[in-house]
Amino acid sequence: MGIEIITLLIVVSLLTLMALGVPLGITTLTVSLGTAILYFGERAGFFIVAANVGEVLHKYELIAVPFFVFMANVLERSGIAKSLFDSMAILGGRFRGSVAVQTCVVAVVLAAMSGIMGGEIVMLGLIALPQMLRLGYDRKLSIGIICGAGALATLIPPSVVLIVYGLAAQVSITKLFAASAVPGLLLASLFIVYILIRVRLNPAMAPIFDIPETGLPLHQRLRFLKGIVLPGVLITAVLGVIYSGIATVTEAAAVGAVGALVVAAVRGELTWVMARDAMRQTALTVGSIIWLVLGAVSLIGIYNRIGGGEFLREMLTSLDIAPLLIIAVMMLIVMVLGTFLEWIAIIFITVPIFAPVVIDLGFDPVWFGVLFAMNIQIYYLSPPFGPACFFLKSVAPKDIELQEIFLAVLPFIALQATGLFLVLFFPEIALWLPGLFD
Amino acid sequence: MRRLFARCAAAMDGVSVFIGQACSILLFACIGVSALEVVMRYGFDRPTVWSTELAMTLCATAWVLSVGYVTERNRHIAITMVEILVGPRVWRWCLLVQMLIAAGAIFILMLALWDPAIKALRHMEHSGTAMNSIQPTYLKVLLVVGCVLYLLQLAANITRWVQRTDQDIGHGH
Amino acid sequence: ATARAETLTIQTSFNAGDFSTQYLTETWLPKIKEMTDGRVEVVLSPNGSIVPAKETPDAVAAGVLDGDFTSVNYFSGREPAFAIMGDLISGYDTPEQMIGFCQEGGGEAMMQKAADALTAGEVHVVACGPYSREALPARVAIRTFEDLNGKKIRSPEGLAAAVFQAAGASPVSIPFSEVFGALEKGIVDAADASAYVNNDATGLHDVAPFPLYPGIHSMPSMQFTINKAKWDGLSETDQTALRDWWYSAMRAMTVEVAKKDAELAARDDAGDKIEVINWAQADRDKLREVARKQWEEFAKKSDLAQEALDTNLAYMKQIGLFKD
Ligand code: NA
Ligand code: NA
Repeated sequence: MGIEIITLLIVVSLLTLMALGVPLGITTLTVSLGTAILYFGERAGFFIVAANVGEVLHKYELIAVPFFVFMANVLERSGIAKSLFDSMAILGGRFRGSVAVQTCVVAVVLAAMSGIMGGEIVMLGLIALPQMLRLGYDRKLSIGIICGAGALATLIPPSVVLIVYGLAAQVSITKLFAASAVPGLLLASLFIVYILIRVRLNPAMAPIFDIPETGLPLHQRLRFLKGIVLPGVLITAVLGVIYSGIATVTEAAAVGAVGALVVAAVRGELTWVMARDAMRQTALTVGSIIWLVLGAVSLIGIYNRIGGGEFLREMLTSLDIAPLLIIAVMMLIVMVLGTFLEWIAIIFITVPIFAPVVIDLGFDPVWFGVLFAMNIQIYYLSPPFGPACFFLKSVAPKDIELQEIFLAVLPFIALQATGLFLVLFFPEIALWLPGLFD
Repeated sequence: MRRLFARCAAAMDGVSVFIGQACSILLFACIGVSALEVVMRYGFDRPTVWSTELAMTLCATAWVLSVGYVTERNRHIAITMVEILVGPRVWRWCLLVQMLIAAGAIFILMLALWDPAIKALRHMEHSGTAMNSIQPTYLKVLLVVGCVLYLLQLAANITRWVQRTDQDIGHGH
Repeated sequence: ATARAETLTIQTSFNAGDFSTQYLTETWLPKIKEMTDGRVEVVLSPNGSIVPAKETPDAVAAGVLDGDFTSVNYFSGREPAFAIMGDLISGYDTPEQMIGFCQEGGGEAMMQKAADALTAGEVHVVACGPYSREALPARVAIRTFEDLNGKKIRSPEGLAAAVFQAAGASPVSIPFSEVFGALEKGIVDAADASAYVNNDATGLHDVAPFPLYPGIHSMPSMQFTINKAKWDGLSETDQTALRDWWYSAMRAMTVEVAKKDAELAARDDAGDKIEVINWAQADRDKLREVARKQWEEFAKKSDLAQEALDTNLAYMKQIGLFKD
């Protein structure tokens, strides 16, 4: 059986199982086991799945996820999140959509303290989403903002995606980080402009916080900054330990989790019951996330072993089109693979094939790395296999269904694609900052 | 017979919830270990060789063993769009199919993980790092235990489905 | 003679973009086909792309992979002999010496014994040896043996960590994905990474401008194994060809990487951003003395590890690295 047919069969069976409502981790696991056993027989098939599944528990990057979830749970349960958003709403005054815009700004700051997407999305999902809904913001808009802006964690440095890309393609990580900063801010700006346009066209999407304080002149509203002070101190402290070299990015997340407890204690809201419930909620959330990842990774090795890489290489070399179109085809391949593979798998399969081609075509691999990271963000949001959506689902209020999240992220995927095309056609957006170093 | 099954299912629920809630303490310990390493390295200039491995092990234990709790609460992430299309009666059968597929997949995964776990136990695989703990062996066995918990909790959920007592718990994912 | 070429899928511990991967793929993979008159082809699959690096022996045994081309350090937690065979910290001076040990000094047979400790004789060790001496990127100047004192050095592997500790440094075991940030921010002073050419490519010298080159500590040895059944299915001519091919490729790559490393180090040393530090022989000897005690400690972990050390020491004496 040809690899094209197998690829097709894999995608079709994944979609079928998903549609039946089978948990997503089980879906990928079932397809992995099926493919492995049919293709390699029992012994080798069992081995390849077991080996890759076992490796997930050695992925150090993943341990930041519970740290973020716990931090967010504490902030949410202690009322810190509520007063933060009240303050933000009051400070924004009668400016329509101000809380949504401020959430984007907060997301950019959080992105600078997290290298992985999952952590930031669950954090925003726990803290910002209930608050935006409480303030009457449109559900779909709020969900889209959380997923779109939360995904910035892997574009704005530090970013694990860029580090893994740098290692796989042997490209300078310093330059990748420098190159990704401006595109990250560009995406955030696109999100903000989109929000402002949407709420201008349809004011019902973003009601003004209807309390007298929002009508006060700005200098009087400033005293409501106090709700922002404690979370602000916490964020500054975490960023401080990262950028001063006290702690690694993962450790900083742990410091933040301890910090959240301290902040809650300062406000007199730290109780055993609150901390215990925050921990239990964390266990449930990370428990559902890990079984999702376990299933997804086992497809990596199988797809590679049955010649997925060769298939892509031949497809690319047989193309006789303009160089920029080849880049576009590569981006498309990443998107397609993103419907059924985990991002590390995508990097393992595609980067070794793409990077030499990109360099042969005369393009800068640093620029391609940024495009790649932007593309991974699209993959992260896009249904049916959109981890960002799954992460948000794992913490969102119960009545928010996955399909609603999928619909909500569509406009933000379009914005991400816009950003991607801008960087594709105007490489300077990415390259001018690292260019200053040479 | 029916009562016996119901009692077993309820007992399994209790076990899953207990283990799941105990796992939350492990996560807290994991946070503590990671924060402690920062203090030891930055404050006392004495980095430890064990913190990374210990933090990973604590976290992994919580991840894997919370599976019963997650399954009992129906918190596995799934797409439930079909429910609207097919209506509640067909959807109820879909729920059974979902659980049976999950049970089948986890059972086969358990078989796949079995040999490596036994082999690791026999040779006591160490990590080969500076700390050289038996983490690899532990994690391989842990995954098998996780599968068993998952299977038992699925059996409890299926029992409730058969006895039509699953409605009270709800199926929201 | 219509037999199709036997295609062997071999997983390596090289990263996809490593210089070595590209060099082997472009220069050496075509040669194996020539050397066997088209009967054998080799496909190299990058690190972790099919199974995690430390699982390759079992993958070869199970037939998931046809063979591996991996740093054996990955298996040191399963059998301590692999730590000795994989990287005798501060032991040999040049990769050629260690290739010599494998090819003529009983290294291959020793590696086969270690491999048999992991699987039920389903893996055949064809050849072994290193191809480069790893440089040590550092963010502060470590000019002498004494300068190691108090430095925080990322060294996850057991034997390396023990040697650094014995030399007065503090080993830190952060994962590889955090190395770049840790060097940049000063969480560690130096980090075990890769060959100079690879460290240069990933930009480690931007954040760690005092690389120690030639390196002082690490020369990771690799193994080339083939699934036993596959191996037995090859003709004797092809078996010999595979072994010769591998050693030729490794020797050529050793020369190539050394040349690249030296060029880049000379370029960097001439500039003012990076200072390349080359330890004096006296300092290297001090570290080797310290290291030797740790080898002996480590060898106590298993009979096979002791045997591996004894075989190495015998060869080192034979070629004059040790007098006693
Ligand atoms: Na980031
Ligand atoms: Na996707």
